[in-house]
Amino acid sequence: MLMVCATFVCMMTSVTSSAAERGRTIIYDGVVTEVVAPPAPLPAPNSADLWVTLSDLTRATRFEVKPKGVCRDELCFPISKARRSAFFITRSPVTWFNLSEFARLVRQPTAYDEKHRVWYFGPRAAVQNGYLASLEAPAFTLPDINGKMHSLADFRGKKVLLVTWASW
Amino acid sequence: MPGWQKLYSELKDKNFEIVSVAQDTGGVKDAGPWITAAKPEFTALIDTEHLVTRLYDMVNVPTAVWINEQGRIVRSNEVAYADNRYKGVHGIDATPYISGLRDWVANGERSPFALSALELKQRLTPQQPEHAQAAAEFALAEYLTHAGFGADAIPHYKEAQRLNPDSWNFKRQAWALSNAERDYGTSFQKEVQKLNGKPYYAPRKLPEVKQQ
Repeated sequence: MLMVCATFVCMMTSVTSSAAERGRTIIYDGVVTEVVAPPAPLPAPNSADLWVTLSDLTRATRFEVKPKGVCRDELCFPISKARRSAFFITRSPVTWFNLSEFARLVRQPTAYDEKHRVWYFGPRAAVQNGYLASLEAPAFTLPDINGKMHSLADFRGKKVLLVTWASW
Repeated sequence: MPGWQKLYSELKDKNFEIVSVAQDTGGVKDAGPWITAAKPEFTALIDTEHLVTRLYDMVNVPTAVWINEQGRIVRSNEVAYADNRYKGVHGIDATPYISGLRDWVANGERSPFALSALELKQRLTPQQPEHAQAAAEFALAEYLTHAGFGADAIPHYKEAQRLNPDSWNFKRQAWALSNAERDYGTSFQKEVQKLNGKPYYAPRKLPEVKQQ
């Protein structure tokens, strides 16, 4: 990849553009991370499936592969022996993890853009629908027009009318 | 916004806040002029990723939620206009809803407008898997828009619209970022005509209360 930069403008010229050499972008929990691609395509149920190294898995998602499963903090998703081959492939010396298969396991919606090699992972269904049991208003933190951040939780102790609108 | 400001002036000393959130992928550039013109004293936030739409499973604007002092929802997603200045356009009478809001601010959980947990659980349902998928496509499209690849975002906006055809947010935001006729073969006016008398906003279910 050849990068030509003028003062404010960068032009990227693809010299060789096999998929393996192009960058890959993951958006996970709203965080954008660049990850490496396998040197050659790996077999998967879906051609858009995303294989990542175990270190990229943790970098991009904070999930780690542990003996009891794929875990983040107290949360662990066990992967049965019978299904291991769907999640892990070793191309010595690197072990690759199928993050798209994991998304299907944990009921997480995904979207993929082939041209830009971007994979988006949305919230797990259990997270998205978590407020329905408690009826606790889902939390958010967003900026005002000056960029100052405000959280819904700042208004605890008051009645709040939360109202959306749009310029369009 | 001017309507909400008037209501806020009336109710702000009654332990009441308005949090308005612009669902605008274009951010300050698109939503900013409206906020600057209205000069709200209440909190006016800008949501370039339509996060509130996704978190609360909303499909249109304006949509409001009432949240009590403990942070719990007491009325869920409903169309909410502060007054009747645009009634001629959308036909929604703001009066019963705003009367209900005043009643809740005065009476809290005793207000007939504050819904019970049982009623809320009937109204709020788990997000359908297709709608979760639609939200993912929309989020990817927004990422591409923000990265400067507006044209490449269009197929993803279209997929979001196909998967959740009830979402006016997904339609209107995408059209606004583009030339709707050229890129989507439609327009807001055409889509409203297609409703053929069906309401643009889901009808509200307000209790029958004698206005005092």
